[in-house]
Amino acid sequence: MSAGRKSRIGSLVRIVLILFAAFVMLVPIAWIFLAAFKTHVDVYQLKLFFTPTLGNFGTVFEAPFFLGVKLLNSTVVALVTVLLAIPVATMAAYSFSRFRLRGETAMLVAILATQFVPAVVIVLPFFVMFRDLGFLDTRVGLVLVNLAIVMPFAIWMIKGFIDGIPMDTEEAAMVDGSSRLQVIRNIVLPMAAPGILTAGIFCFIIAWNEFLFALILTNKHAVTLPIGLALFKAEEGDLWNLLSAAGIIIMVPMFILALVIRKYFVQGMTMGAVR
Amino acid sequence: MRDNVLKYVLVAPAVLVVLVTAIWPLAESARLSFTVGRLNRPDSLKQYLGWDNYVWALLEEPAFWNSVWVTGIYTLLTVGLTTFLALGLAILLAPGGRLRSGVQTLLILPFAMSPALIGVSFRFMFNPEFGLFDAFFGALIPPLAQVSWLADPILAFAVCVMADVWGWIPFLTLVLIGGLVSVPRETLEAAEVDGAGPWRVFRDVTLPQLAPVLAVAVILKSIFSLKTFDQIFMLTNGGPGTATQTLSHYIYFNGMKYGQVGFAASVAWLMVIPMVFLTYAYARLVFRKDRDP
Repeated sequence: MSAGRKSRIGSLVRIVLILFAAFVMLVPIAWIFLAAFKTHVDVYQLKLFFTPTLGNFGTVFEAPFFLGVKLLNSTVVALVTVLLAIPVATMAAYSFSRFRLRGETAMLVAILATQFVPAVVIVLPFFVMFRDLGFLDTRVGLVLVNLAIVMPFAIWMIKGFIDGIPMDTEEAAMVDGSSRLQVIRNIVLPMAAPGILTAGIFCFIIAWNEFLFALILTNKHAVTLPIGLALFKAEEGDLWNLLSAAGIIIMVPMFILALVIRKYFVQGMTMGAVR
Repeated sequence: MRDNVLKYVLVAPAVLVVLVTAIWPLAESARLSFTVGRLNRPDSLKQYLGWDNYVWALLEEPAFWNSVWVTGIYTLLTVGLTTFLALGLAILLAPGGRLRSGVQTLLILPFAMSPALIGVSFRFMFNPEFGLFDAFFGALIPPLAQVSWLADPILAFAVCVMADVWGWIPFLTLVLIGGLVSVPRETLEAAEVDGAGPWRVFRDVTLPQLAPVLAVAVILKSIFSLKTFDQIFMLTNGGPGTATQTLSHYIYFNGMKYGQVGFAASVAWLMVIPMVFLTYAYARLVFRKDRDP
């Protein structure tokens, strides 16, 4: 009897701990959500109950903040980065997955390693070069640099998906007279499509949240959303209600995308080291 | 096209992109690190002075060693705390079921959040006038009520660690759940039948099985901790003083604010050294996994 009681208390303790953890995870996010619907005055009074307003979401798009421009920049930069990276990464991933290449391990390790190089090391030469070429503060420049962080993830993630597709179908089609390129187009791409889409979403999130490159390489025209957060300062301090509204505009689309691919999130981040 | 030509054609664009966007800047950074390298004097980017920048950083710059120290402690604390707490949470969540998989889904959210935004939100929460945590900790530990967290060197550092741990627990938890689920149930049951208590089962059965996944998680987290920039920039901007100035932030400040690109590049390359070891360890784990699927 006492053993049963003990295990019941144990499971209750566990549920309380789980709920507590969920609470801790959600509080900072929830606090931003609340603040985004508060007026400037309500923010300063720690209120849990207040009359919600949508005004902040209008204000952030008006002068002098113009969040719309940053939203457009972020969208264009992340989207173009992904559209360039994914086809290139898919081709390479197929080759790495299906063939033995000379120097294959060296190439794969180099690609893996570039992901671990601090972004601040990469950005210094780009700053100097972009200044000379007039690429500073342009979306083109930002896309180019973003490729550096997105490519390794994309290659490793898509390679993982293609590794999981059995080779029999491909071989059968080849025996029937299809060329390798036909096989890739008609068999591999349709089968790998969900994986490629997942990798695309994953890379979009990374490019969207990217901060250091945009901080250093843009200052006016090509500023992205995360850098735009720094705008909401006034003489009396940070404008928390507007910051929060901008925060929601940054994070909610990523929440939705992340939930779509949640099954593969871990695989993406660990580059297939943990499946 | 023959396969043994095609296979290189397929890889070529990706290799080119990686060469241009990652390998070239690395090499160029190395070159810059041996120059005078002032942003406001273009000719100084080709004025070589040997190892002077490195010698200067290592011997003459207390601020460099301060940021090494800050980054070291920061990495130790964030890796240790995140791993420990994530392991606990993973053990709680691994059994599955409605509540637990619901919470697992929630865990994705902090992870999809931009680190810069995490920095902003923690600065908000620790605001001395109307921050939620500030009020909470003040009520819990009354002496803390009057404290301005981000103005105190040690407390500001603690807040940075807290923000980092908060942002990374979800990812590590998900990784470790994956590891825990793959521990064979028969082994666990066999150990229990043999009369081993829960702690013994965990230490002697679960932990050894979890070791490879745990290693991946710890190495990855270490790499990300060493690189930390975004949150720190938004949360404390390295302050107060230089109490929370990580290496990335120190490099940013010297390179961009003071325009000493050459010196900043040399520090950046000093920072690459620990990365090489960690990447080597990581690559070994990845390729071992590849060999025996």
